This record gives sequence, C-alpha cells and structure tokens, in this order.
Amino acid sequence: MYNDKESQKIVDIIQNFARKHSLFVLAYGTGCGAIEIPPTMTSRYDAERFGIRGAATPRQADVLLITGYLATKTLKRVIRVYEQMQDPKYVMGFGSCAINGGMYWDSYNTINMLDKYIPVDVYINGCMPRPEAVIAGFVKLQKLIQEGKADGWDRYKKNLDEYRANQKKIITNWVMPDFNR
Amino acid sequence: MSENILHNEQKLLNLLEKKFLLKESRIIRAKRVEVKVEPKEVIPVLLYAKENSGYIHFAHMSCVDWIEDGEFEVVYILWHPEEKINLFVKTRVPRDNGSLPNIDFIWRQANTYEREIREMFGLRFEGLEGRKEFILEDWNNIPPMRRDFDTEAYVKEVFFHRLGREDAKDVREKIQERTDEELPDFAKKYSRD
Ligand code: SF4
Repeated sequence: MYNDKESQKIVDIIQNFARKHSLFVLAYGTGCGAIEIPPTMTSRYDAERFGIRGAATPRQADVLLITGYLATKTLKRVIRVYEQMQDPKYVMGFGSCAINGGMYWDSYNTINMLDKYIPVDVYINGCMPRPEAVIAGFVKLQKLIQEGKADGWDRYKKNLDEYRANQKKIITNWVMPDFNR
Repeated sequence: MSENILHNEQKLLNLLEKKFLLKESRIIRAKRVEVKVEPKEVIPVLLYAKENSGYIHFAHMSCVDWIEDGEFEVVYILWHPEEKINLFVKTRVPRDNGSLPNIDFIWRQANTYEREIREMFGLRFEGLEGRKEFILEDWNNIPPMRRDFDTEAYVKEVFFHRLGREDAKDVREKIQERTDEELPDFAKKYSRD
C-alpha cells in the first residue's frame, strides 16, 4: 500500500507524520538492554522530545522493544504481547543478541534470529547500544514510518504461517489463543 | 600467615573433625574452610554447623558435573555472620541414580536451589516437594547442565543461524603469540611481572 513517498496519498502522509511523532513504547524489557531504557526516557537523553514515551499495556503501545537476548520461555510471552498490540505496530531489536545470538549464540535457551519469529523493523547494533544509539534507532524508525516502509505488522499478517511454523519449532506446547489477522 | 589469624577456622575444623567422619578437610585460606563428607553425613554436618557453630546463613548451593568420575559434586556454602567465615560442605553422589537428602527443613530457601539442581542436572533429592518444572518450560531433552548434553548440536538443530559467523576463526593461537611479544613502554607499568 505505502511503498514509496510518491505513491503515498496525502492522507497517508499526514497519518504517518502523526504516527511517527507519537511512538508509545511498551514498558517491557528482555535481556541486558532494558537498563538502557530509563536513561533514554529520563532527563539526560529525554526521548520524549521525539514523541517517544512509555505505555503500560500492549494494547496502548505502538513499539515493542526486544532489548537483548530472548529466552525461549520469554519468546512465548513476546508473541502473545505482540499479537495483542494494535496495528500499526513496530518492533525494534536491540544489540547483537537479537541480531544473531551475540555471545549467547550457543545457548540452549536463547533464540538467535529474532526476525524469524516476529517481524523486526529496526535493528540497533551494539552490546548494549547506548542511549544515543537507541535514539538514532528511533529516528531511523520514524523515517521508515514516514516513508511507509515500517510495515512489519503487515508482513506478519501476510506471512503468518511461516512465522507460526518457526515459533512452533521452539514452543512445543502451544496453548495460546489464535491470532485474528 | 600466623596461626593466630586462622584461629577461628582451626577451631571449627577441630570441632567438625572430632564429631564427624570427614573424607577430607582443609583451610583453603583465611575465612574459607572446606570439608568433604559422605552424602549421609550432610544433614548432621549442616545441622551442627547451623545450631552449634553459628553458621546460620545459607549462602549458596551448587552442583558440579564430574563426568570423568561419573559423579555429581554438590557444594553447600554457609556463612558465619560474626566470624565472617565461609564453610564449604562438599559431597559426591553417583551421576546415575544418585540421590541426596533434602535439606529444606533446615533452611527453607534451600528448596529453590534443590529444585534448580534437580531440573538442571537431573539429580534426585529425597522427599523434595514442589513442581517438577521450575525454570525450564516444556523441556523434553536431557537436563541441560549435564555435560553429556551437547549444547552446540542442540542449538544447530533448533535455532536459526544468521550468515556471517561461519568464518569465525580460532584466534587463540594468535592471541597466544601476541602475549609473548615485548610490551610497549607505556604498558609496562601495568604489567604483572
Ligand atoms: S547484546 Fe550484549 S548487552 Fe545486549 S543482551 Fe546481548 S550480551 Fe546483553
């Protein structure tokens, strides 16, 4: 639908402009990176000047941060949380652990490639990315949103079967409600 | 180190040696005392340490897999808050079909450690209560902390791998070569030798 700026309708441009300036981030953290979020949000780096602020529940949030390694046990909760969020929703993967497993790549209980299980819009590299890098990631995400390229939620719906197959490879005892696309 | 400083440690060792049949006992260094006992002596030693010697704080409990000897070694670490001494009580059980007495009636928090060891190593504790599934979820392989569990093979089978890691070279030799090099001047003052 929104592939590049030229083909965007004027209403999309306005909509995306509004979206990118009010990113509500779910207060949820995995791995080491959750500790980088408080300085990012509070006065020193003050992410609120970008319109980024916390949200208490998945249904109020736009952005899901996977802040570091993701244990197989947590993956189940992350999928549940992700599916509860309203469209449009965005996912950011923090640090090398989310990208390729990082230093936990040979651990029996952490996944290695986050984008095989849920669609990721922006990856931030580092171990752990500093608040500056986190903000740079958010700015990148805003740019993608404005251009209509942050379409992870759309990809998830389209390729749900593929994502489900990958998820079920790890979560053997699947006792979660179905996702209505 | 003079005898005087290790006085408390020696006193504890003498007491334990007199009372129990210890397989081995030594003072590792100041503030560290280690005793090795048979599994059936664990409860008496721990109870004695807690009730009579003031080792009231149960600091930690861990397990080591000595696959070469076919044994698990379980370590109980106790702490004396006044004398500031750590007491290590070690015991060994066979890897297959070994079992240990449950000690959570002495310190309730031991229950957590025992359940973790039961799950991660598959070691049985007699009369231990609590759900079997503790930290792991839907695990149907051999307990993951056993050394015969092949983590790498498991990871290769279950998880995906992003390209770009295959050329990871073994740099240990290179690093070894570099450590034999002469240190640059500015680094010399930080060197250990
Ligand atoms: S990338 Fe580094 S800091 Fe981030 S979760 Fe992994 S080990 Fe921790």
